[in-house]
Amino acid sequence: MDVSELKVTADLANIELGEEEFASLGREVEKMLDYFSKMMETDGMSLPSGPGRRAANRTRPDAVSGDADPDSLLENAPELEDRFIVIPNVL
Amino acid sequence: MYQSFIGLEIHIQLLTESKVFCGCTNRFGDEPNTNVCPVCMGYPGVLPALNAQAIRLSYVVARALNCEMSPQAVFERKNYFYPDMPKNYQISQFSSPLGRNGWIDVAYNGKTRRVRIHEIHLEEDAGKMIHAGDMSLLDYNRAGTPLLEIVTEPDMEFGEEAEILLQDFRRTIRYLGVCDGNMEEGSMRCDANVSVNLEGRGLGRKVEIKNLNSSRFVKMALNYEIGRQKEILDKGGKVVQETRLWNENRDVTETMRTKESAHDYRYFPEPDLPAFVPDAEFLAQVDRGLVELPAARRERFVKDYGVNEAAADFLINEKGTADFYEEVAALGADPGAAASWLQFDVRKILNRENRELAGSPLTAARLAQLLSLLSGGRIHGKIAKQVLEAVFAEDKDPGLIIREKGWEQMDDAAELAALVDRALAANAKAAAAVKAGDAKPLGFLVGQIMKATQGRAQPQMVQELLKEKLGI
Ligand SMILES: [Zn+2]
Repeated sequence: MDVSELKVTADLANIELGEEEFASLGREVEKMLDYFSKMMETDGMSLPSGPGRRAANRTRPDAVSGDADPDSLLENAPELEDRFIVIPNVL
Repeated sequence: MYQSFIGLEIHIQLLTESKVFCGCTNRFGDEPNTNVCPVCMGYPGVLPALNAQAIRLSYVVARALNCEMSPQAVFERKNYFYPDMPKNYQISQFSSPLGRNGWIDVAYNGKTRRVRIHEIHLEEDAGKMIHAGDMSLLDYNRAGTPLLEIVTEPDMEFGEEAEILLQDFRRTIRYLGVCDGNMEEGSMRCDANVSVNLEGRGLGRKVEIKNLNSSRFVKMALNYEIGRQKEILDKGGKVVQETRLWNENRDVTETMRTKESAHDYRYFPEPDLPAFVPDAEFLAQVDRGLVELPAARRERFVKDYGVNEAAADFLINEKGTADFYEEVAALGADPGAAASWLQFDVRKILNRENRELAGSPLTAARLAQLLSLLSGGRIHGKIAKQVLEAVFAEDKDPGLIIREKGWEQMDDAAELAALVDRALAANAKAAAAVKAGDAKPLGFLVGQIMKATQGRAQPQMVQELLKEKLGI
């Protein structure tokens, strides 16, 4: 994989890397991509499942489940103010 | 000369009970972070599940906008890092959106232009972020609520056309009951794009405009931007392809700084959601969700009820008013009279009391009854207006009101004759003048009798009786 392409990808993923890391990671990403292209060679469409190959659509009825516990989820927030999650300012 | 090319990206929040991929409540205005769960908060290991109503409403809109409906709606992950999207990607559609190649007609300046719809896709909305000094406040109630995006081709030329398209579109989605179309509250949002080029040279460099909180701002921002781009080209300059923000205080567009990579979303298929394949039963359901749309209804009202264009425009603007009108007409009221009463008298009261027709004391049956009392001569015009006021004030049937208040028209000849005699005796001078050939005081005498009866006397009968007694 081209280093410049890797740099764009790292930037999009919000990952900061040094030049050395780019060099070593480049080789590793290359391996992954090779593996993916190998997988693409297989005939996925003949498998019984996969997007668009189900007998019926899987949807759920439009109803409120009411089983969530929002307060316990908020406990994991780093900082709260009047139920708002507070984070450093980002533009 | 120059040519301008305008396209719109419209987002509407679908009116469902729950969010699009989880069972949280979909509601505006709740306490922050009360309608959240591990799915819409992006916790690891959770699975999205498609809301059947959200996908149905989406296809209804696609159908209403004349789109080719995709035989397979595929969901993709649109990757971007921003705190309003806790998963770091938004579930959206990219390769196979649910609707494509539709159109909407826009009538402006005596011409009708067919604006093509590029695509319609279903996605999830982001959370709300409030910037407060050196920190930001996050509320994820809106995160994961169903959002439908409608993208038009750059087929319009003037800001006015974009404004009309938005107004027509808003009316349509309100008719369909899929969205309330409130641009101020953000349930309907619009970004615009515009480019200018020499005529015949095709599209120019596209500028996107954001922060447009009303259809009027869309028009103003586009017309401002077209002027700005023409000026640049006039001076031999090049328009910068960028995103600009509408500044509603200064009525100008301003550069918005964005990262160069802002549009590189690296879409990939959402592995947790199978493609949605509409079957015959689903498509029949979509058909049942369609209603007669505003433009067709306007045409029918002019043709079937003989109302003029302005009245038709007024009547069809809200589906509730149009339904109400048809109910009144079906109850036998004169369509012209019903239209005029709704357009003027009823509207005046509703505006004054700042309320909607729906849920008001005036039902279709009551208006029909009032109009029938009027056309049957049981009350006359001025009293009818008082009866209408009383219907709103007292929440009673017009028939009951005129009985209770004794407002029924007086058309008993003997009773009126006595009143005429009394008036002539009390106004001998006027009576003498009329007899002498001066017709003017006749109106005065009629007025005296109307006054004495609080407007209940049948005016034609009064006039005839007067003429008879005065021998003219
Ligand atoms: Zn949720």
